[in-house]
Amino acid sequence: MLSPERRPSMAERRPTMFSSQSHIVVPHLAGIEDPLPDSTPEKVDVLIVGTGMVESVLAAALSWQGSNVLHVDKNDYYGDTSATLTVDQAKRWVKQVNEGAYPQCYSNAKLYVSTSIANGKGKYASRDFGLDLAPRILFAKSDLLSILVKSRVHQYLEFQSLSSFHTYENDSFEKLTNTKQEIFTDQNLPLMTKRNLMKFIKFVLNWEDQPEVWKAYSERPITEILVDKFKLEKPQVFELMFSIGLCYNMNTKTPEALQRIRRYLSSFDVYGPFSVLYSKYGGPGELSQGFCRSAAVGGATYKLNESLTSYDPSTRVAYFSDGSKVSVSEKVVLSPTQAPSYNQNIPKQEYEIHRLTCIVEKSCEEWFSEGESAAVVVFPPGSLKSGNQVVVQAFILGQGSETCPQGTSIWYLSTTEQGPRAEMDLDAALEAMEASILRESSSDLENDESILQIGPNGEAMINSVRLGQSFKEYIPRENIQYLFKLYYTQYTSTPPFAVVEPSFFEMNNNPSKQMVPGASDNGVLYTAMPSAEISYDEVVTAARILYEKIVGSDDDFFDLDFEDDDDVPISKEDYENAIEDDDEDQDINMGVGRHGSTECVGEMEI
Amino acid sequence: MFQFKLVLLGDSSVGKSSIVYRFVKNSFDEFRESTIGAAFLSQTIKVKESDDGEETVIKFEIWDTAGQERYKSLAPMYYRNANAALVVYDVTQQDSLVKAQSWVNELKNKVGDDDLVICLVGNKVDLCDEDAEDNKRAVGTEEARSYANEQNLLFYEVSAKTGLNVQQIFQSIGEKLFETKSEEIAAAKNRQIGSSNDHVNVQLQRASTNDPTSCCF
Repeated sequence: MLSPERRPSMAERRPTMFSSQSHIVVPHLAGIEDPLPDSTPEKVDVLIVGTGMVESVLAAALSWQGSNVLHVDKNDYYGDTSATLTVDQAKRWVKQVNEGAYPQCYSNAKLYVSTSIANGKGKYASRDFGLDLAPRILFAKSDLLSILVKSRVHQYLEFQSLSSFHTYENDSFEKLTNTKQEIFTDQNLPLMTKRNLMKFIKFVLNWEDQPEVWKAYSERPITEILVDKFKLEKPQVFELMFSIGLCYNMNTKTPEALQRIRRYLSSFDVYGPFSVLYSKYGGPGELSQGFCRSAAVGGATYKLNESLTSYDPSTRVAYFSDGSKVSVSEKVVLSPTQAPSYNQNIPKQEYEIHRLTCIVEKSCEEWFSEGESAAVVVFPPGSLKSGNQVVVQAFILGQGSETCPQGTSIWYLSTTEQGPRAEMDLDAALEAMEASILRESSSDLENDESILQIGPNGEAMINSVRLGQSFKEYIPRENIQYLFKLYYTQYTSTPPFAVVEPSFFEMNNNPSKQMVPGASDNGVLYTAMPSAEISYDEVVTAARILYEKIVGSDDDFFDLDFEDDDDVPISKEDYENAIEDDDEDQDINMGVGRHGSTECVGEMEI
Repeated sequence: MFQFKLVLLGDSSVGKSSIVYRFVKNSFDEFRESTIGAAFLSQTIKVKESDDGEETVIKFEIWDTAGQERYKSLAPMYYRNANAALVVYDVTQQDSLVKAQSWVNELKNKVGDDDLVICLVGNKVDLCDEDAEDNKRAVGTEEARSYANEQNLLFYEVSAKTGLNVQQIFQSIGEKLFETKSEEIAAAKNRQIGSSNDHVNVQLQRASTNDPTSCCF
């Protein structure tokens, strides 16, 4: 039921253009049919400041709902806290951080850039790279993915699969045992373990319906139920917790961990034999651009390079750096990075996320599955030289992601360890990755004594060292060339690996967090800084809460259909037939990439 | 079928959208497969393959600015992998050719493809009548043409209102693209055979199953 207080939808506001169906129907030629007004709006329903991921999803949802939205960003690029930056933009960003442009949001940025990129004269150009400030992976079964499809924003974007998850243990990278087949065929798993693992997987897919199994463990760490109840051993426990569940420490509680493990398993095989996707050319920065474009088609006005200089809550007028002003009839939504510094209600960002982003002159294909260009490596607690107490997560992107040129890769490392220990953990993880990739990609195996073995008859045999085996003894003959190395601390109000709480947005109603009397941002809705979570899990939750605060109900959040909706999901049979025909008349997409390669649009699930 | 991305550029109110609207509307009956929606418009045309007189279908994926050009707020996503661009000016506005020229520079700067086909389009010729007293023309045809030649751009003066020359813009862009890209297209066809190392995109609208729990686990 639609709430009676809700704002009239676009359909009701403009009955001549839209049909009177209860959900929003996007007409043919939307955004084309209606000539856009010439002047800057003097009055808007909602002003959104900052084009981060949550703000962009919100802008699109509101625009399609019928709200008149002005969306500005003080930067000359989209994305704000979720931006995808070129090397030059990253340099400027670091300078701003160190000049105190983002108090309470970022600090301690340290940057190294190799001469191969610097000054536009080296081997690489600044814009060859797309560096995410808050990298994210996308689960195949997730709220964001369904909204991407529903809003058609996915059509602006390209996605690729990521099936390589590695857990680092005993100085080696264990590849995730991903599928049922792999569990059955894995020679190293004893039969009993296989059986126990299958039993657990069966349970976890419907864990909520079986409280008799987990209720007793609900306040205890997930390890206990895995060991006591399912008789799993340490390697499987770690894999389930840290690779599949992407949990952050040994104490992650049972229900939360089960939820996270199921998230991975239920995403498996939705689009093919993998659970996770990522967007090409950049992560959240790219998605933000897509949602902003969608919002613009829906009628929102966009202004980059525009900062909010002040807001008067009594007259509801916002003033901008270019001298313009706008009267806001409903709400101002403000990113903490873009708030005027004298604002008094900016939420406290209590938690640190330490990030280390490197561009490495190595393709790192050894870590990727065939045909893919990305991997996730998790360093569980206690696995690193630094004696890390919480996980370090690493997300690696290769040239297929089009965020870096051939022969290079981007490594994103992050940890929720607080304080000075964090950087030691990041460095230890980086060292382990370095050693691993040098080991895996070493081209002079024959000449390397450390891996020569003598066979039973005295002949020399090459010990084929593959992924998953120890490289403890290995002494690399080459060094990793870093093209770019950036350390920074990001602050967030969201506890480690949680998603933002609805109460975060209750600031103005919550007596314990009373507004500062007379403050210039009373009545302003602040968005949250990105959490440490590596997936997009919190984005839709946060955007939906904000939407409800503004519209009065979230019933019609992205409730839209397209008039020409002939792209209905085709049935399984059609789908299989389509694949059979594929060889003959595959469309050739002439979207020519930076390196002149032509990419063929094919299907993943063949 | 070959698919190309075409972007629109030019200042606000020069009539970018109307040109596309005219093109898509007029061709709508002829090609039923046109799909229009909030993502972008697609429209197909046919071009003759020179040798044997056979026709090839070319599909344009047309991206409109959605107003984001007004405050110079077009995203990198907009320019990415564009194969062709219409840079539109208004023949009745004196400074609009100058602005179109800055959009041409912007394009060359932002789009990596050296084969990018750019068409300079002067809109609103229906307002120009050389003999009439209220002739509103402010930009001379020869001035624009010589700039286009110098920059190696296609050039048309059109009227979105009457439809004059609108179809021709897309036809000649299609032909030029077909000409410049045919070698690449052939190479792409060959590469398809036995290439396993290409990074394949996942098509999100096509889930392989609606019930993920039924499969594999």
